[in-house]
This record gives sequence, structure tokens and C-alpha cells, in this order.
Amino acid sequence: MIKIAHLYPELLTLYGENGNIKALTKELTKNKQKYSLTNINLEDEINFSEYDFIYIGSGRPKNLELVKNHLMKYEKDILTYINSHKILLATGNALSIFDFLNLYEIEKYPEFITADIKATTPLVKEEIKGFQNTEWLIKNCDNPFIDIIEGYGNSKTTKEGYYKNNFYVTSIIGPILARNPKLNNYFVKLLISVNKDKNII
Amino acid sequence: MKILAILVGKIIILIGKIFHKGSSLPGKVALKIYPDLLKNFQYPSIRIVVTGSSGKGSTTKLIAETIKNTKTVCYNSSGANLSWGITTALLEHASLNGHIKTDALVLEVDERYTKTILPYIKPDYLVITNLTKDQPPRQHYIDLVYDDIVKSIPKNSLIITNMDDPYLRNFAKDLKNKIVYYSLAKNKYSYKKQIFENLNIYHCPYCNSKLKYSYYNIETLGNYKCPNCSFTYEEPQYIGKNLDLTKMTFTINNEIINIGGDMLYNAYNTLASYTCLAQLNLDFTSINNSLNNLNKLPSKDFINDNKTFRAISCKAENASTYNQAIFKVMHDQDKKDIIIGWLEISRRYNHYDISWLYDIEFELLNNSSLNKIYVCGIDALNIKQRLLLANIKNEKIVMGENIASIKEKVLHSKASKVYGILNFDYVKPFEEAFKKKEE
Repeated sequence: MIKIAHLYPELLTLYGENGNIKALTKELTKNKQKYSLTNINLEDEINFSEYDFIYIGSGRPKNLELVKNHLMKYEKDILTYINSHKILLATGNALSIFDFLNLYEIEKYPEFITADIKATTPLVKEEIKGFQNTEWLIKNCDNPFIDIIEGYGNSKTTKEGYYKNNFYVTSIIGPILARNPKLNNYFVKLLISVNKDKNII
Repeated sequence: MKILAILVGKIIILIGKIFHKGSSLPGKVALKIYPDLLKNFQYPSIRIVVTGSSGKGSTTKLIAETIKNTKTVCYNSSGANLSWGITTALLEHASLNGHIKTDALVLEVDERYTKTILPYIKPDYLVITNLTKDQPPRQHYIDLVYDDIVKSIPKNSLIITNMDDPYLRNFAKDLKNKIVYYSLAKNKYSYKKQIFENLNIYHCPYCNSKLKYSYYNIETLGNYKCPNCSFTYEEPQYIGKNLDLTKMTFTINNEIINIGGDMLYNAYNTLASYTCLAQLNLDFTSINNSLNNLNKLPSKDFINDNKTFRAISCKAENASTYNQAIFKVMHDQDKKDIIIGWLEISRRYNHYDISWLYDIEFELLNNSSLNKIYVCGIDALNIKQRLLLANIKNEKIVMGENIASIKEKVLHSKASKVYGILNFDYVKPFEEAFKKKEE
């Protein structure tokens, strides 16, 4: 059984981001995969090692702050999760939460970055479509995974996002998985393989 | 400069009238000549402003038209609610020295423009209808809109707003202004378990604990209580009871009042208007009579070939208005076709953001009374993809370039009812396609 956690769906409620969970779970069902979906909120304890896929999306800054305070106590658990090659996808302004992991830095801009996105990624062959509506971008870093054709990359360059193992962070909303079926499929296949490996161990 | 600005504005209004063309141009030119014009009008002694994400126009109209029964009123009836449009409305009633010559001023103001309008007009009464997700590329998120409004409210303005929405209680938390609330009582459409997702507020504005609801009217509106602090719904003086969306009425103080439509927002807009008018010392009978008269509208349904048709006009990029339409349609158990579509998303910018489609609870349409959903217009494919993720079966979804292209299929379908869940720009094409021409 694949275990999915959606972090803070009652606090991070902007830009239809739970469409990413809808797209992912629909594709899992199509692939005849059994899964469980757990919604995690502020009042919950999080056992990261239980999950195979964790998703976190955009929210109002006040709520991002609450979430960050809740997650910071799990710093070690999150790093262990990432180092064990499990999947964590953060989209939109949720990128601003994870700077406490010290894997990448973020920049806050005085004006909102709103832009249509056209991009490519080595993960899939299709062109990525989406939107940006954020005050934060990642600062130039060594591990971007998206090449921007239209829109804004890290530090407003053409390189966007951050990845380490299967930890993927991007400022792109859409929802990105719902609007990009091949990218969604990439994560589904990755999730199935991560889950198989777990069962072998 | 002030007199020149007013004079030029008035001349442009006059020219517009001769050619039967109204626009915000007079205000635009007058403000160009004298940018401080709004600061230097002498406003009437009764000043009312209505703002919020939706419902501003209807609420303003009900208030203004009721006051007109006994007093002269200046109001932006055209719906132009930014600085230029408001200035144009004021110029119409201004003397050359800037004196607004009416007894009352009633203005609908865009929620992002309150900061440039409220400090000058200093309304006695500020009606805030709601604050919901709206135009994400422009508004981003509601805290920004809230901050704009809260900073611009003069300290003597009396705020009139909705008790049912815990988010709107932030005004009481952050301001010392007097606030008068209204509420729609639990009714036959209320529900116990939340059916919508991605909402604005789930937590207490004071202590961040998760709010508990004894019932919901829709989305976050209902009877809430914080389990950890004293924050709770408090029964206000103005309550709409016995809501009946079929008869399009509710009662206030045991008097039956027409709400002017069969949508929940009709009830809330009427309540906001009633509460505002009640502050003006108008007697209740005359308020009731006026609202009943203004809201006496024929049903918007029409019949063609034994099918009942109904267009529900929604506001693009505002998921709440679509959720209200879906809430209405889901309560109808008849076999139905639904048409969803629009000509364009926004006229204000060129961004192509469809994230708001994922804030709409299309899942609620997925029941046995659904025959087909027709998706039309520029976003037909995007709407279809959203519906598929709401687990609506592919064979139930029909795509069309526009409404005319699906007309014959709809007319010959098995459904007895046809609902259009449409942006306002598709209401006319819907009616043109399906209303029988009068012989």
C-alpha cells in the first residue's frame, strides 16, 4: 500500500493546489495501485517514516509561518526522509517553508511575481505549463530541475526549483501535476518504484 | 484647478449623454486635471460605502433605491467602482465648487480601491459583504485585500458585515469601530459536515485552534465556535430566518421579505442591505416594502420544448460564486444537463491562470441526477480535465467550441432541466441559443 500525506490542507489552501493530490491519486487508481491519503494538520503529530509521498502546497503567509513553526521540530526526520529517497513535493510559495533545512536559500521580492509558465525539465519530455503567483523565489542554487522558457527562475534566472534525491521544490502552480499529465505520470511511476523497493526491503 | 476639473468633467458627461455613451472618462480626465479632487468634494451628510469580493452591486442598488424613496441620492449605478467611475458619479451631482448636492451618497467601491476612496469620503456606514478568493493574479490572497480595507477604514465609520463568516470577525479583532452584524439562520439547505474544500478559514482568528461548526450555510459561513477560547458565533440583531429559495423569501422580525433570486447570495445581499438601512432610522415597514418591491423579480427559468432552462451567472476567477451555483444545482434532483463555460477569464490582465478551477467543488455535481455536462468556450478542455479529476465519467462530458455548437445535442437530450453555470459573458449566448423567439 502506497502511503500519501497531504500536509496542512486546511491551512495551505491557495490556488487549488490540492488538484495535485487529485491528479496523483487518480493516476494511481488508473495504474491499479492501492493507496492511503492522510491529511495532516497543525494538531497532528507527523511520523515521516510512514509515508512514501508527501505533498505541500501554497498558503497565505500567516499560515505558512504557522506551518513552518510546526515543521521545524521535524528537521531531522525530514532530512532522513529525503536521504532515504522518498518523495516530497513542495509547490508554489510552500518553497518558503523549507529554508530551515539549509539545502537552499530563498528570496522575498517586494512585488508579487505573477507569470505564465512555459518550461522544460529533464524529468519528462513534455513542455511544462503553469503559473507563478508568489512573493518568494529560491536563490540561485546548484540543483534546479526546471528550465524556464517563460516566467521566472531562481533569482529570476532561467533555472528554477530545487531537488535533492526525490525532494522536489518549485514555485510553479497550475496545479502543476494536474496541468502536466506526463510530469504527474513521472511522479506516479517513481512512487510505484519507491513503494516496490520498500516492500523488497 | 478644482473648478476647472469639475467643469471639464461635467462637459464630458454632457457630451456622453448627447451621444448616449456612459463611461468613466469624465472622472479620469477630471482626476488628471486635479488629482486631489476626491479629497476636496463636500460630501452629503449621509455617506454609505459597500465593498467586498462579490455582491457589492446588488447590495448598493438595494440600499440606494430604498433611500431614494424619501431622499435624493448620488450613487454609482453603472457599477464603475474604481476611482474614475466613482469620480464620474460624483461629478454628475457636484456643483462647480465641489458640493455634492444630494441628501445621501451610496457608493460601491472595489475592495482594492478602498484605500484611495474611504479616507476622503469617510463613510458613516461601511458595508463589507464578504471577502473570498477572487482574481488570484490580481488579489493573490485575501489577507492582502483585508489589510488594504482595514487600514483605510476611518475610525468613526460603523461597519456592517456578516456574522456567519469567522474571517470577517478579524475586523473586530483589529479595529475599535462599532460593528453591526447580520446572519442567515440555520435553514433547510444548511448542512452538518463540510462539503467544500480549499476554504479561506478553518481556524480561530485569535488562537489558531480548529473551529467547530454546529452547521454550515455554505463554505465557511455558519455557526462556529472555538474549542479553546471564547471566540464564537454570536447571534446578532438582524437575522434572516425561514429561508425558502423556491419562494425566494426569508423573514426578518417575522416579516416575509423577497430576496430577489434563488441563490444564497441573494439572501445575504438582502440581509446586508436591510441591516444598513435599519441604521438610518427608516421605519421597518418602509424598508420591508421597498426591498419587497425591488426584489420582486420574475423567475429566471424559461421553458423550451418541455425543458426548463436556467442560466446562473458567476464571476470568473471567483470560486465562491461557482460553488454557490453548484450548491443550487446539487439540490435539484431532476435529471439535468449542465453547461459550463465562458468567453474569457479576465479583461484586466493577460495572465492565463486556471488554478481557481481547482478551488471549485465540481465533485458535488457527480450524482445520479446528472445526465451530461457540456463544456464550452476557451477553457473547455481545462474544465473537462477538472471534471475528470472530480471523477465525473468521460462519457458524461461533451466538449463544444461554443454554446451554439452544442445547442442541438442539448435540445434532444434526455434531461428535463438544463443549467448554465456560466461566467456573465456566456449568459446572453445561453439565452440566445435556448430561449424561444417571441412570435
